[in-house]
Amino acid sequence: MSSPTSTRGHIARWALNIYAGLGLLFLFVPIIWIVAFSFNQPRGNYNIVWQRFTLDNWRDPFSDQGLTQAFVRSLQIAAISTSVAVVLGSMIALALARYSFKGSGPLNFLLVLPLTTPEIVLGSSLATLFLDWDITRGFTTVVIAHIMFQVSFVALTVRARVRGFDWTLEQAAQDLGSSPFRTFWKVTFPLILPGILAAALLSFALSIDDFIITLFNAGSLSTFPIYIDGSFRVRFPPQVNVLATTILVFSVLLMSIGLLWGLRSRRRNA
Amino acid sequence: MNQRPLPRSRRPLSRRQLFLRAGALGAGGLSLPALLAACGGDDDGGAATTAPGTTPGTDAPPANGGGDELFFENWTAYIDPTEDGEIGTVDRFIADTGIQLRYSEAINSNNEYFARIQPVLGRGERIDPDIIAPTGWMAGRLIDLGWCDPLPLDQIPNAANLVEGLRNPTWDPTGEFSLPWQAGFAGIAYNMDITGRELTSIDDLFDPEFAGQIGINTEMRDTIGLIAMSLGIDIETLSSFDDAAPAFERLEAAKDAGQIRRFHGNDYFDDLTNGNFAACIGWSGDVAQLALDNPAVRFAFPESGGTSWADTMLMPKGAINRDAAATWMNYVYDPEQAAQITAWVGYVSPVEGVRDALVEIDPELAENPLVFPDDATVAATQSFASLSEDVEAEYDREFSRIIGA
Amino acid sequence: MTATSEPARQRVMTSRPDLFGLFALSGAGLLLAAVGARWVTGPLVPIALGLVLTAIVAVIWTAVAGSPEAKRKIAPYGLLKPGMLWLALFYLAPLITLLRLSLSTLPSRFAVDAELDWNIGNYTTAFTDFAPQFGRAFLYAGTATVFTILIGFPLAYVIAFRGGRFKTLLLGLVVIPFFTSYLIRTIAWRSLLADTGQVVQLFDTLRLSGFFETVGIMDNGRVLNTPAAVIGGLTYNFLPFMILPIYVSLEKIDPRMVDAAHDLYSTSVEAFRKIVVPLALPGVFAGTLLTFIPAAGDFVNALYLGSPNTTMIGNSIQDQFLVQNNIPLASAMSFVLMFIITVFVIIYSRFFGTEDLT
Repeated sequence: MSSPTSTRGHIARWALNIYAGLGLLFLFVPIIWIVAFSFNQPRGNYNIVWQRFTLDNWRDPFSDQGLTQAFVRSLQIAAISTSVAVVLGSMIALALARYSFKGSGPLNFLLVLPLTTPEIVLGSSLATLFLDWDITRGFTTVVIAHIMFQVSFVALTVRARVRGFDWTLEQAAQDLGSSPFRTFWKVTFPLILPGILAAALLSFALSIDDFIITLFNAGSLSTFPIYIDGSFRVRFPPQVNVLATTILVFSVLLMSIGLLWGLRSRRRNA
Repeated sequence: MNQRPLPRSRRPLSRRQLFLRAGALGAGGLSLPALLAACGGDDDGGAATTAPGTTPGTDAPPANGGGDELFFENWTAYIDPTEDGEIGTVDRFIADTGIQLRYSEAINSNNEYFARIQPVLGRGERIDPDIIAPTGWMAGRLIDLGWCDPLPLDQIPNAANLVEGLRNPTWDPTGEFSLPWQAGFAGIAYNMDITGRELTSIDDLFDPEFAGQIGINTEMRDTIGLIAMSLGIDIETLSSFDDAAPAFERLEAAKDAGQIRRFHGNDYFDDLTNGNFAACIGWSGDVAQLALDNPAVRFAFPESGGTSWADTMLMPKGAINRDAAATWMNYVYDPEQAAQITAWVGYVSPVEGVRDALVEIDPELAENPLVFPDDATVAATQSFASLSEDVEAEYDREFSRIIGA
Repeated sequence: MTATSEPARQRVMTSRPDLFGLFALSGAGLLLAAVGARWVTGPLVPIALGLVLTAIVAVIWTAVAGSPEAKRKIAPYGLLKPGMLWLALFYLAPLITLLRLSLSTLPSRFAVDAELDWNIGNYTTAFTDFAPQFGRAFLYAGTATVFTILIGFPLAYVIAFRGGRFKTLLLGLVVIPFFTSYLIRTIAWRSLLADTGQVVQLFDTLRLSGFFETVGIMDNGRVLNTPAAVIGGLTYNFLPFMILPIYVSLEKIDPRMVDAAHDLYSTSVEAFRKIVVPLALPGVFAGTLLTFIPAAGDFVNALYLGSPNTTMIGNSIQDQFLVQNNIPLASAMSFVLMFIITVFVIIYSRFFGTEDLT
């Protein structure tokens, strides 16, 4: 920026940059620990004291069967719940962004509520519902719970992305004789797709990571975080770090692809 | 063993070496003859693990009652695994009987496990496992609630091998609902590097020197039991809340003073080995295991005595695979098989004749007073009284209030 | 009984499709919530579900067979319906059930079903026995929120105004840590903060321990299992929820405006205060809610990083619900927590305006 800066201003500027840099570093401290300890060869059951470097854990990421099962189960739950939530949430987002209609205020409020309710209240209240219904908690109840918080999340994320779009395109297409169905697939859907994908990625991550709500509704089902919490009482194998690092790398890859894709389409549109 | 492989450090050999060390300590004149090796079955944990593709509870189809399947939910690290060329009990059982045993380490704590199965059993529905392994007092609660099926004892001839001391226990006076799995003791676990001295009494846990470095167990019967014994209270005859009130007061005062770093279940291993805890209330067998990570970790019976407990095998109401369950119980009550388990877990076995069988496998262990407690040891331990429902509720309420969770 | 056979309703549907849609949507939602919470029981259940179904069918029918005008007006309600019904059944109904259970009593200690007897004893217990946990929850969450602003605002500011072409990359870096499990990150801190861990060692090496001891961050050379560790954990875990909304509102500011402000006001501090801060407030508002609310209900940080004297209300709810099996008491505590937070949000919104939590 071009404003004239005195020496003092210069120092202040750099001080602020360094402060921000430290803040960013703070975010990464545990991440560095997690990645580093995936290369540790622990001496006992707890991979929390550095012993020596090894690649064994990476050579055998699935050696802990219980952990692997829990991990796969979390992926299944996330896949199912995200698919449902993305459809329901995108429909809501489309309604909110595309139309102005009576009652949108209160409905909007209801949508925001689940995100402003503490997880422990969401988890415990849903568990009381299942108890009241005499439903044994397990896989299905966890999926239902995840969809519940993902719907709001997807709806708000997609709405934020599609707000301010030029919806007259739709009208134009219809005026030109395109059927509503065709209009949707050819005009509307491509417009909202990037938003939907971003929301899907994030809510997938939310699902895999969710611990509190899941704990209340899992019964004896063991998901990835629940397994880690339970087994941490007696052990903490390096495979936890390996799988966590894998999720991290994978998410970063997906995010980068998404970003590049977004940049490209923005350039194309411009 | 069809479950996840158990930790490397649980190798029988290293464990036996430990018993040697622990035994030497005991012989070397620690204040009490007893350093008992018994893993903390009471709160041994691990997350619920289930076999691939199954969803416990929700909509698992009832297994066929044909007797070729079995599901056992147990505590963590509570059976010999298949490793290092030795075949574990689960796999031997499958090979010998052809019964597909699904062995799962799903129990973290008695209360937590109860909270999980209660809504199902309480509605009169069945839970998936055919055999579960609650601690004695919890077994008593389940039996009193009528949530257990009597064992098919006529199909378990080896039940006759049950040691005298564990017959008709308080929680199951007729002995028709439960067979003990393993038994053990609670005492002081400490890290010699931090304490700098040997600990011999419960008073050491309240020593201001260790302020903020003490772990206290969330298993009420062990914690209150040990503290009450140190105050000269007989815990076998407790009948009202007031009987044990001083122990609760002592605990609360220590908590308020910041003496206690954390209340722990079976999750004290890392804090103890890494020195976050100077001492805590632990289970002796765990300590043998932990000493592999850190030789400074020790176990001691307090001068005022330790508490004893037993974990049981019982069949929840409506368990389908009754025949297979009987076959399993008969199998592990065979002294030869039981000795294999003992050789690895280092508990006090409830099976008569294990000592003779163990001489063949591991003669040193067979002489270990930690696994085969002598009369003096037994005399120095007490087990917590079985409380009436109302009194127990009062104990639990007060305890959970103090631990402040 | 289908909507098509009723001429009167048909007229409403076609003349005022928006009113009809709103009515069908909210009516169906409330009915479903009532059935879910078992307010409606017995033979009324099939009737209620029939009405819900009718409402759905009627909306679809209007959307398919109505006039183009009716179609357009009914469309948003049709789109909203599935998601909103899901929320009605699995968000609203559970809250009603929670409220009912909190006013119930277990007939015996190990009974499964609590009986509704309008017993407010659970609430008195929640307030008397668990007041410290409530207090700590709000104190820790509030403190952590302040820290997230102190750390997050400058970070968001630097990214938004000085990020240049690295803006997206920097923003990505803020988000990346949160693609590893929350639980594992907290366990990582537990290891880092341990008595023999890297953080304590660092403090010792830098000779900062004495200072930290004085300001109360350390306690007898310990960081782990102190209030500071819990607040630190909360700050860490919710930091991005503060950074991102602040960034979003800062990004909308035209840098030229800040430059102009520099010219206008004598000091950059003043320029910052008069231009940047007011424009960033919506972000801070959203960030505060997104940080404070989950932090107040959290139990993971207190569980892994705290001590018996730092337990928060989340720990108590979790313990009463999942370990002690006292579900009515846990429900009462949950409800109180939600009530306090809702009141907080409403008051807070009055001061800062609402809209836009994303």
